[in-house]
Amino acid sequence: MAIITFHGVTKVYKTGFRKKKVALKDFSLDIHEGEVFGFLGPNGAGKSTAIKILLNLIFPTAGKAEIMGRSVENKEVRRMVGYLPENPYFYDYLNPVELLIFAGKTSGMDSFKIKEKTEMLLNTVSLWNERKRPIRSYSKGMVQRVGLALALIHDPKVVILDEPMTGLDPIGRRQVIDLILKLKSEGRTIFFSSHILEDIERVCDRIGILVNGNLVRVIDIKSEQFTTSLENIFIEEVEKAGEVQQ
Amino acid sequence: MTAVWQVALITFKEGIKNRVIFGIFIIALLLFAATTVVITLFMRDIVKVAVDLSLSTVSFAGLLTLLFIGVNLFGKDLDKRTIYMVISRPVSRSQYLIGKFSGIVLLTFVVVAFLGILSAAPVILSKRFYYYPEARFDWWIFFIAIVYIFIKLVIVSSVITLFASFTSNSFIALVLSLVVYFIAQSTESVRFLIASQVERIEVSPILSYMVDIAYYVFPNMSAFDLKMQAAHGLKIGPDYFIWTILYAIFYIIATLAIGTLAFRRREFP
Repeated sequence: MAIITFHGVTKVYKTGFRKKKVALKDFSLDIHEGEVFGFLGPNGAGKSTAIKILLNLIFPTAGKAEIMGRSVENKEVRRMVGYLPENPYFYDYLNPVELLIFAGKTSGMDSFKIKEKTEMLLNTVSLWNERKRPIRSYSKGMVQRVGLALALIHDPKVVILDEPMTGLDPIGRRQVIDLILKLKSEGRTIFFSSHILEDIERVCDRIGILVNGNLVRVIDIKSEQFTTSLENIFIEEVEKAGEVQQ
Repeated sequence: MTAVWQVALITFKEGIKNRVIFGIFIIALLLFAATTVVITLFMRDIVKVAVDLSLSTVSFAGLLTLLFIGVNLFGKDLDKRTIYMVISRPVSRSQYLIGKFSGIVLLTFVVVAFLGILSAAPVILSKRFYYYPEARFDWWIFFIAIVYIFIKLVIVSSVITLFASFTSNSFIALVLSLVVYFIAQSTESVRFLIASQVERIEVSPILSYMVDIAYYVFPNMSAFDLKMQAAHGLKIGPDYFIWTILYAIFYIIATLAIGTLAFRRREFP
């Protein structure tokens, strides 16, 4: 069953007077229940655009996106979605507990459950002892981990992570990988973008390569036999699309 | 309602913990202290001066709170994309905007209530040490004047919310809000001046028409300035209450409705 669906999505940004940039071109994709789907692509390929359309942060110029069969424009859909933005930024003077209470309450959780999950998640991302400090005193990696806790507070069925490894040290990266594998074992659907091919290869069931707004290839990690590394496949696809000049 | 209340709550918490608010409180306390010194320089009407300066301080501190914290609370969300954290939840854009406005109003209420209580100090001092039997003063009118300062600031909050809903950065919203505030403070006086022709100034019909438009488009802030009534202990009739409060409610609802409409299709790339 498809949990995330893009139906011929095109997104055109206005970049100036009469100037336009096509970020996504007739993009179609199905991501299935319990699947970990990795999104690969050079900078500006349209990965974040696709993710933002799913979260209704931007609107498609043409086509439509659905989560669990419902239009992403329906705000109730987001009750089942956890999202970590790229380079997240949170309220400076609040602490992670206050943010998690907000996230839990807006997702319809009761106070007892929020308290329980807050402790569990902040321990998972190693921030429990720092929970009373305002976010402004946190390092970039710590902010990223707060973002992960926020994405997971309400036990979402779908987890969308935009460059979750950005700003993390090797230990932090390892924690995120372990967390994604744990979420996968719990049967959650995960859609994430990353530049780190090694991480994508390790955790994903399928990989989509996006170049210049076009989905140029979808690779099934389990069934396809590779004669070369993922890095070479990626570079080959980008070259084919004319992105890299040799 | 949960979503609106939760957005209001984090907006309020973020605002009240902001260090700028301590700076505003210190400025207000210094102005209250200065009031107690300044009133000793007057021979007559000391209570009136104390009331006028105290209420002006509350109004000024409230305005500073809105311009430096209120605008920033919107600005950061939009400039630094903190809004992703909110909009990616089951919170609609309209709920976000109304929640943000409510949080700023809550913050303004706390600031005005706190400084409103403190503003009584210079008045009490002036009454105790420099009391003149002919001075008319009524605490009830003084209290009403503070409530009206709050209502005026809520209108300014709604104007800030409107500008934040469509401007691309917080600085533009700040400048536009300031412009509206200053126009709104003076349109009634300008209109009165043109209509009365006391100075016998030749005013072109176009200018007169434009002032009329400005009078109806911009909020009439002078209607919420009861400093004179409080200073002179003048009674305020029930009609005035009803019409000004209805006017404020109508203006706030209209401003928020336009803001919500503009914000509904706004993208956050």
